[in-house]
Formats: sequence, structure tokens, C-alpha cells
Amino acid sequence: MAGPTSPIEFRLDPASGVPTYLQLVHQIEHALRLGYLKPGDQLPKVRDAVASLAINPNTVLKAYRELETKGLASGRPGQGTFITATLNQVALPELAGLRRLLLSWLTAADAAGLDDDGIVALVTSSLRDFRDNSGGSGAAGTTKKGVA
Amino acid sequence: MNVIEASGLGKRYGGTWAVRECALAIPAGHVAALVGPNGAGKTTLLNLAVGLAAPTAGIVTVLGGCSAGSPAALDGIAFVAQNTPLYKNLSAADMVHLTRNLNRRFDQGYAQDRLGELGIPLNRKAGHLSGGQQAQLALTLALARRPRLLVLDEPMAMLDPLARHDFMATVMTAVADDGVSVLLSSHVLAELERVADYLILMSAGRVQVAGEVDDLLACHRVLTGPAAEAGEYAERSCVVHARSGGALAHLLVRTSGPTDPVPPGWDAHPVSLEELSLAYLRAPGAAALPGPARIRNAERAEVAK
Amino acid sequence: MTTLTVPTQPEQDHALRPVPWRRMGWVTWRQHRPTLISLPALLGAVAVFLWIAGLRVHHDYAALAACRPFSSSACQALNTSFSRTDWTMGNTIHIVLQLAPALIGAFAGAPLLARELETGTFRHAWTQGFGRERWAIAKLVLLAVAITAAAEAFSQVFTWFFQPFIGQQSLTVLSAGVFDTRGIDFAAWTLAAFTIGALAGMVIRRILPAMAVTLGAYLSLDLLTWLVLRPHYPLARVTSNPRLFSGQGSASSPWLLSTWWTGPGGRPANQAVVSRVLNLFPHNGPPTVNETPAQAFAQHGITQWWRYIPVSRFWPMQFIESGWLFALSVLLASATVWLVRRRAS
Repeated sequence: MAGPTSPIEFRLDPASGVPTYLQLVHQIEHALRLGYLKPGDQLPKVRDAVASLAINPNTVLKAYRELETKGLASGRPGQGTFITATLNQVALPELAGLRRLLLSWLTAADAAGLDDDGIVALVTSSLRDFRDNSGGSGAAGTTKKGVA
Repeated sequence: MNVIEASGLGKRYGGTWAVRECALAIPAGHVAALVGPNGAGKTTLLNLAVGLAAPTAGIVTVLGGCSAGSPAALDGIAFVAQNTPLYKNLSAADMVHLTRNLNRRFDQGYAQDRLGELGIPLNRKAGHLSGGQQAQLALTLALARRPRLLVLDEPMAMLDPLARHDFMATVMTAVADDGVSVLLSSHVLAELERVADYLILMSAGRVQVAGEVDDLLACHRVLTGPAAEAGEYAERSCVVHARSGGALAHLLVRTSGPTDPVPPGWDAHPVSLEELSLAYLRAPGAAALPGPARIRNAERAEVAK
Repeated sequence: MTTLTVPTQPEQDHALRPVPWRRMGWVTWRQHRPTLISLPALLGAVAVFLWIAGLRVHHDYAALAACRPFSSSACQALNTSFSRTDWTMGNTIHIVLQLAPALIGAFAGAPLLARELETGTFRHAWTQGFGRERWAIAKLVLLAVAITAAAEAFSQVFTWFFQPFIGQQSLTVLSAGVFDTRGIDFAAWTLAAFTIGALAGMVIRRILPAMAVTLGAYLSLDLLTWLVLRPHYPLARVTSNPRLFSGQGSASSPWLLSTWWTGPGGRPANQAVVSRVLNLFPHNGPPTVNETPAQAFAQHGITQWWRYIPVSRFWPMQFIESGWLFALSVLLASATVWLVRRRAS
């Protein structure tokens, strides 16, 4: 039911506890990061998103406004909302290198006896310390912003 | 414009007040959820709003000042009652024709397209349609009237999950297309959480909470901290509901906004709509009503004296 | 959160033009098609039967009327046969017909609103733009007109069918059971039964109890009218002319309401004397004296008086009864609409 012009379709996780509009924002950011969405792509029309998800149109509008605030999308009167920027600032080859590094670190963590939850906790707290020390930079800041 | 405005509204059946001292002002452009346990007075309040019932006390106006049940109100409000009563021996096509004949405005094309999309056979008697199809037919008849306010009483009680989704998708599409305001009731908040942006919480005939969902969430939070300090904290601020163990206490508090300072030693958590509703329903004395409505209610009380 | 903008509605509330009345035509027709088809169909079928049977009755009656001399055994045989076959059928139909308005009221009137209230469909009907009072008025008026017209047409056929029995069976057009199947009275009773049913349905809100109450209320009203009201229509005359009340009952016999006696000078008569004179004329058996009751009374200076309604007053009687029945129907229908307006669900 999604608009034929949009490359993505939304889904909702009722159990996540994350507000619906934020789920939409996250999905678009995720799609941007992974290259499913590029500048110029159209986001699902409000009516189509509403019809397929059975949610309040204001929720979709709110998600799109959030994206506009972040400078990721902009609305064109009478046409819809379009992607204007990208989050995928790292080229794919670089991404592959980083992934290799992370894998070797994970092997070490595993050998040290950390389980999955321990690894996630360690990464999360290290990332926070890193951001706190460096004052925060780059696109990573967008993920937590906006939680009421 | 307020699609529904009530002050001092009460309705008594025999010796029992089904709704009492109800003050409400639901602005247009919202999908408002009327939530409360069974017997809270939701259906009565809706019947008062659509003019099926006459108030015992107070007044209720709709669509910016029309009295409920007046010709203008009937013209602008479409109502789908609980269990979607249809004439069981009339075909879907006859129901469409009948409803069209009873209204000034009726979008025949919309009705036919909708029923076609839904695969509802026009020549089948309404009584032989499935529960989901009956609900969709009733909803289609209501929306084809191009109402300014759509009132739905427990619209999804009889529907399976797929039918619920489709039903709500139809309503929300109409909201996106026409900007129709919606007021719908349910005793299950969860099924309205995704669609509602305005919440009215009722219990025991009274409106306990009314407001925009975002505002309500923004001005409530859960504080977790030492149980020993809970009593002291409760004196200083508006605690809706408190749960306390030997050491740890959870307080659901009403604040003046997200910037309210958190007391030292306490953690603040955002609250979910469901948590908030449960807290209020457990504390019948607590209320969170918008200022003007409360003031008007107080004035009425003065007059009553 | 900012909300979707609502399109402004320039329409002014007071400028609303109501939904035209004629739209209720289709609605009423479609919703009450079973009644509107089956009732005329049933009455039509009975009318056809009455017409076919009536041809035979009229033929038999013509033969009987032409038979001379009446006291001949051939004529008496004809008379007996007419009474045994034709009158048995005519009498049965005529008795059943007394119940017809009640049944129409119970089956067409009582469910009209009770069904909406019982099944909850009033919540759909009463929240449409047409408005519930107008909805109720339109339905009541359309159905009442259709049912009353069907009843009137039917009663005309029955009147023709029944004509031979009047006179032959010592009945007059004022006889109970004859008067209310003729003229406009049958239609008026049917209308009253329909409105009784509609009001009962609105008050009781359940079909079956409303039907039972309709039957009960109708029969009570019928009985009350027959026994109490009808003799008091202001058409009665008083006479002391004994010729009106002597002889065999015939189609032109007046309807006797009451009789009393006065003594000389108009003073009340001595009841003992009256009783003595009356005993001279036992009900079953020949009189014991060779004179008329009037002559016997005259010997004691007593005059017998009669209060009666002549058959010539048939149409005034019809208008009086139909008139108050119509007024009652309007009252009941108004009460029904008033209840629809104010009934809190």
C-alpha cells in the first residue's frame, strides 16, 4: 500500500516501547545509513503510511518534521517529503575495514569471557565516555535526541 | 473550535449518575480516545454528545457551539454505535441508499469504492456479513457523510486483530484525507495508543484526565528513589500514584514540564501512556484537567450552590 | 504537537436546509416493504375471496327475496339453506374481521419503533442528518396513510359482501359488528390500532410485549366504545310512538337505547303497574291478552317512551366515531413522536 514512489516502507514494533514517531525516524535514519535511501528519494506519503500502519497522521507528520529539523528531509508542497541529506558519511570500503576491526575486538572480548549483554554494555558506556570527552561530533548525536 | 464542549454535564438513570460533573473541551483536529473501565460512563457521554441522550444536568455543545442533537450537529457528526447496529435484513447497497437518503451530504462514490476495496458484496444482507465487514460497512456509511466529527463507540470490541487494523486504517486515512476529528471510546487503552493524540480518561462517571497525549506525557514522570524520602517528596509535589517497597519507591508525579528539577538521589523516567492511565485509574481522586475546563466546572459548582 | 488543519466550514448552522421529506418515501418503503406488500396482498386475497363468495351470496339472496309466497315450504327451505350455509360463512368472516384492526395494529404498528429500539438500530437512524422527530413523523404518516387506505378499500368490498345478511338476519347498519365494518369506521379503527401499536412499541421498546399490549388495548377500547360510548353519541331521539318498536326486526329498525314509562301528567309511572302489564306479554310465548302493549299501558294512563337512534343517522354516527378515533390517533401519534424526541437511550 506504500506509495510507489518511495523506496521504503515502515514497520512498527508494538513491544519496543519507543514512541511511534521515533520508530519512524529511526527507520529512516537506519535506511539512510545503510544506503536504502538517498537524497532525492521520496518518503512514504502520509496517507499511505497511515493506511498501512493504521496510525494517526499527526504521528507521521511529527516524524517528518523531526527529520526536517535534523536537516535530513524537506517537504515539497503538494508533492510530499523528500530526503535532502545522507547519514552514510562513511564509504562502503571503509565500513568493511571498520567491521573487520570490530570483529577482531569482539573475538578478544569473547575470549575474555564477556557475554553479549556485557559487550553491549561495555560498548555503550565507552561510547558515552568518548562522546562526553570529545564534546560529541558527527551524526551519532542524532540517535538519542528527541526522546521526551 | 472545540468539537465537543461540556460543562457541569451529568446524566442520571434512575438513581445512578452515569456521568456527572463532566467538563470537557476537545479541540478540533484530534483523534481523541475516551478510555475507562467498563461502566465508567463512556457510552453515556458519547450518547450525550451525539444527541441520543439528553443531559440531566449541565450542557454539552458540539462543533463549536451547536447544541447536541440539533440539526446542525446531526449534519456534522457521524456516529457508529457499539456493536455497529445495522438493519440486518437490508443489503449493503440498501444500507448505503438508506443512509444517503437520510443526509444532506453523502459521497456515494466514496461509499461504493470503499465497499469494493473491502470486498463487501453490495447485494448481501448486512446480517450475513462478518463482524469485521459489518463494522467496516457502518464506518463507510459514517465516513461517506463527510462528517466534521466521527464518533465511534467501542468500535473494535467485536473485531479480530486483522479487522481492527483495517478498521483503524480506514479511520486514519479519513483523518489524513479530510481532517475529520475523531472521538472513539474503548476500555482497552492499548488499542488506541497508536492512533490517539488526545486522551480522555473516565472512571465512575467522571472525567479524570483530559489533554493532548504529548502534553500529558511531558508533564508526568516516574521518579524512583529511596522509600524513606517518598513521604516527604509526596508532600511537596503532585504524586498521582505511589508504589513503595521497603527500600525503593516509584512515584508517578505530575510536574510543570520536562524541565522540572529532579530531587537529588532520585531517578526520573519518562512515563508511557498506559502507565499514566493505570496510575490515574488507580487513584480516582486524582485529576489532570486543562485549566479552563476546571475553572468552568468550578463556576458551575458555585452557581449550583 | 501541531495538529492537522481542519478545513474551515463556511456553512452557517442556521442556514442548514433540512433533508427533504420526500427522501423518507424510499426509506419507509424499503424498511417496511414486508408490511406494505403483505398487508395489501392479504387484504386483497381476502377481498377476492369475498367477491367470489359474495357473488354466490347475492345470487342466493336474490332467489330468496324473489320467492313467493314466503311462507311456502320451498321458500322456507331456501331460507334455512341460506342461513345454514351463506350466513355461517358470512358470520364467521364478520366476526374474524372484528379482530383485523387489532392484528394490523399489532403486526404493523407495534414493531415500527419497538424493532428499532430492540435491535439498537435507532442509534443509526436517529443520528442521521434527517432528524429523529421528522423521521418518526414521516414513517408514522406514510404507513398510516397506506394502511388506512388499504383498510378502507377492503371494508368497501366487505360491505358489499355483507349487504344481503342485513335484514335477512335482523341486523341493521347500526348493529354492533356491522357498524364498525362499514363506511369509514373500519379504516378509522385500523388507524387507531396502528397508532396504539406504534405508541406501545415506543413505550415498551420490545416487539412481543408491545404486540400483546396493542391487542389488549385495542380490544378494551373496542368494548368500551360498543358498550359505553356509542349509545351516548348525541344523535338519540325520544318517542312514545309504539309503531316504531312493534313488529319484526328489519334492516330499518332503529337502534333502541333505553325505554321507560310515565304515568298520567308525565309523573313517573308506578313500577308495580308497569310490571303487571309487562307480565301480560311474556318474552317467550303469545300474549295473554288480545291487545297491544301500548293499549294495555294506556288503560292505566301509562305512556311508554323509547330512546333510540334511527338507521338514517348512520352517517352522522360514522363521522362522530371516526372523528374521535382520528383525533385519538393523532394524539397517540403525537405522543409517540414526543417520546422519540425526548427518549433518552
